[in-house]
Amino acid sequence: MDAVTRTKLKELFETRLHSAMRLYLETCARCGVCVQACHVYASMPQARYTAVGRAEVVRKIFKRYFRMQGRVAPWLGEVLPMDDATMEQVSDAAWSCTGCRRCMTYCPFGIDTQMLMSVAKALLIGADKEPKLLTMLSDMSIAKGESVEETRGAFTQAVSDLAPEIRALWPHSKDPVVTVDADGADVLYVALAGKHSIIPAAAIMNAAGEKWTLSTFEAVNFSAFLGDSKKMQLIARRIHDEAVRLKVKEVAIVECGTAFRAMKFMTGAHPFRVVAFVELIDRYLTQGRIQLKPGTLTGRLTYHDPCQIARNGGVIEEPRHVIGQLTSDFVELTPNRADNWCCGGGGGLVALGEKDFRMKSARVKADQMKASGAAIITTACENCHSQLSDLNEHYGLGMKVEFLSKLVAEALVT
Amino acid sequence: MAAGADAVTAASAAAGAAAASAVDATSSASQAVPTGFALVVDRIDYLIMVPLVYAALLALVVGVVWRLVVIFRSPPPPYALRLYPAARRPGLAALGETFSMPQVRRHAPLLWVFLALYHVAFVFLILGHLDLFPHIRIMPAGSRHMIGAGAVGVAVTVPVIYFLLRRLRSPLREISTPADFLLLLLLLFLFLFGDMMSWGNSWSAHGFVMTKADFTKYFDGLARFTFANPRAVLPGAHYHFAVIHVLLAETFFVVLPFSKIMHTFLSFPINLLRRR
Repeated sequence: MDAVTRTKLKELFETRLHSAMRLYLETCARCGVCVQACHVYASMPQARYTAVGRAEVVRKIFKRYFRMQGRVAPWLGEVLPMDDATMEQVSDAAWSCTGCRRCMTYCPFGIDTQMLMSVAKALLIGADKEPKLLTMLSDMSIAKGESVEETRGAFTQAVSDLAPEIRALWPHSKDPVVTVDADGADVLYVALAGKHSIIPAAAIMNAAGEKWTLSTFEAVNFSAFLGDSKKMQLIARRIHDEAVRLKVKEVAIVECGTAFRAMKFMTGAHPFRVVAFVELIDRYLTQGRIQLKPGTLTGRLTYHDPCQIARNGGVIEEPRHVIGQLTSDFVELTPNRADNWCCGGGGGLVALGEKDFRMKSARVKADQMKASGAAIITTACENCHSQLSDLNEHYGLGMKVEFLSKLVAEALVT
Repeated sequence: MAAGADAVTAASAAAGAAAASAVDATSSASQAVPTGFALVVDRIDYLIMVPLVYAALLALVVGVVWRLVVIFRSPPPPYALRLYPAARRPGLAALGETFSMPQVRRHAPLLWVFLALYHVAFVFLILGHLDLFPHIRIMPAGSRHMIGAGAVGVAVTVPVIYFLLRRLRSPLREISTPADFLLLLLLLFLFLFGDMMSWGNSWSAHGFVMTKADFTKYFDGLARFTFANPRAVLPGAHYHFAVIHVLLAETFFVVLPFSKIMHTFLSFPINLLRRR
C-alpha cells in the first residue's frame, strides 16, 4: 500500500470518529463475554470470528494512527499498520459480520460491532477492496432511481398485470388493484423488485380497505450493506421525497430488515411514520379490518425474528400477534425475540452469494431450526427468507420457508 | 499484638525519636543518616513517595479529562444505536447495566462473581485509602486497621488472579494482547504489596511495624504539601514495600487514561447508547 492511499484511508477513518465510535474504540476490556454471541463463532470456533476479534482489527488501526500509544508503545500489541496484510484482516472481519448486533446483548458495555464494521467497510471502499458486486448493485439501484421517469410506464403496466394474482388472494380488490405513486394515499408501500413482495401485501392492504399506493422505488438499500453512508442516504432520500410529495402518513417497508432499519433509523428524521409491513398487518387484525381463517396451515409453525426488525427495530411482539391468529400450532425457536440467532445471511452476504461461508457459518441456525420440530418456518425479511431457504436445503431440514405476509394473505377471510 | 503495635505507634509519633521499646522492631537503618548508595536509594524513595505522587495524580486527572474532552467533543453519532426491547427509562437502564452488568451475569456467571467482587472491593479500597487522610474520617477515630483489615485487599487480589488465569485459555488467549497481561500484572503486584503491608500490620505481632497511624501521618503530609521525607514517619525495614506499592500505584495512575481502565468513566455513556 502506498503512502498516498494510507493517508487517504487515515483521513477516511477520521471522518468516522464520532463520539459513539470513539466510545466503542476506547472502551472494550477484551473480557470475551461476546465470544459466544456470534453465530459464526458458534458454528466455526475461531477467534477471528468473535465480535471482539473483528472489532480489534479496527481498534488496532485506530490506536496505531490516532493514539499516542500506537507510536510510543506498539509492543503493547494493540496496533496494526495500514497495509495490504491488514486490509485482508479488515476484509475478513467486515464480511464475516452480518451486522446482527447480537453481540451487543452480551457486551457489558454494549459495543456495537456493526458500527465498528462500518469503518472497516469504509476503509475497504477507500482502498478499492470492497466487494465489487455490492458496489455494482448499489450503483444500479441508484441508476434505476435516476431513470424512474423513463421506466414508469413499463413499471405501472407490470404492476397492473399482477391484478389477477392479487385478486386470487383478495377477490374484492377494486380497480385499479394497485396504484403507483398516486396522490391521496395514507400509506406508501415500498416493495422489492420481485412480485412476491407486492402480491400478498396488495391483497392484505386491499382487504383492509387501506388507502395505499406503491412506491416507484425499491426498498432494498445495498449501500447499507456496503457501508457507504452517502449512497445509503441517497437511496433512502428518494423514498423520503416521494412520501413527502404524496403527503402520506406512513411509509410501510416490505419484509426486508435492512430496508426497514435504514429507512426508520439510519437516514434522519421523517415527517411520516415508518413501519415494517408486519406492523401494518398486526394493526389491521387488531382493528378488525382483516380476518384470518384458522386452519389454513398444516403443520407446526415457528417464527424467525429478523435481527434488523426485532433486536434492532423493536418489532418483536407484532409478528406473534399475527401468528396467534393464523395458527394455534406455533412453537418458538430457542432462543427467540431479541436473543434469536442471526440467520447468517445479513450484512450483504446473501446478495454476495458466499454460499459456502453462509452455510458453514450458520450451522448453529440450522440446528436451532431443526430443534424446534416445526414443519414451517416463517419470517418477515427477504434476506432471512433466502438464507433460511438455503439452510433448509443444505442441511436437509425438510421444512417449508414462508414469508409471513404470504401466510396471512392466503388465510384472508374473503 | 495490640500492645506491640501501640508501642510502635508511639515510636512513630515521636517521628524518629528512637523509643527504646520499639528499637527491636524498627530498622536501625531508618534512624541513621544515609550515605553513599543508601543516600541514592533514599533520594529515589523520596522522589517516589512525594513528588511523583503529585505528578502521577496530575497526569491521571489531566489524562482522563483530556480523553473525555476528545470523546465528547466529537460529533454525535449519525443515528440512534439503541437495542430493543426499548427501555422505559433509558438513563436508569444504562445505570443499572453499568453497575450490575446483567449481560455478564447471564452469559458468564462465574466471571460476574469475580467482577462484582473486584469492583465492590475496589470501592472499599478507595475508601480505605481516603480514610488515611486525617480530615476524612470514615472509620471511627482511633481505628487501628484500614477498612476490611486486609480482607478488601484479598477481595481485589483473588479476582485479578482469576482474570489473569482465564486469559490463558482459548479463545481469550488469542484475543488478549500483551497490554492485557501487563495491566493485570501491574494490578496484581500493586495489590500484593498492599496486601503484605495490610496483613502484616493487621494480623501479625511480629509483622510490619508501619501502622495505620503512620500511614495517616504520611497521607497528612501529602495533603498539606509539606514535602517532608516520609521516612521520618514510616519506620522499619519494610519501608521499601510501601515505596514499591506507591510506585506501582503511580504507574497505575499514569497508565489509566491510556488504558482500557478508562471504562471506569466510559461505561455509563456507552451503555446509554444502547438504551437511548
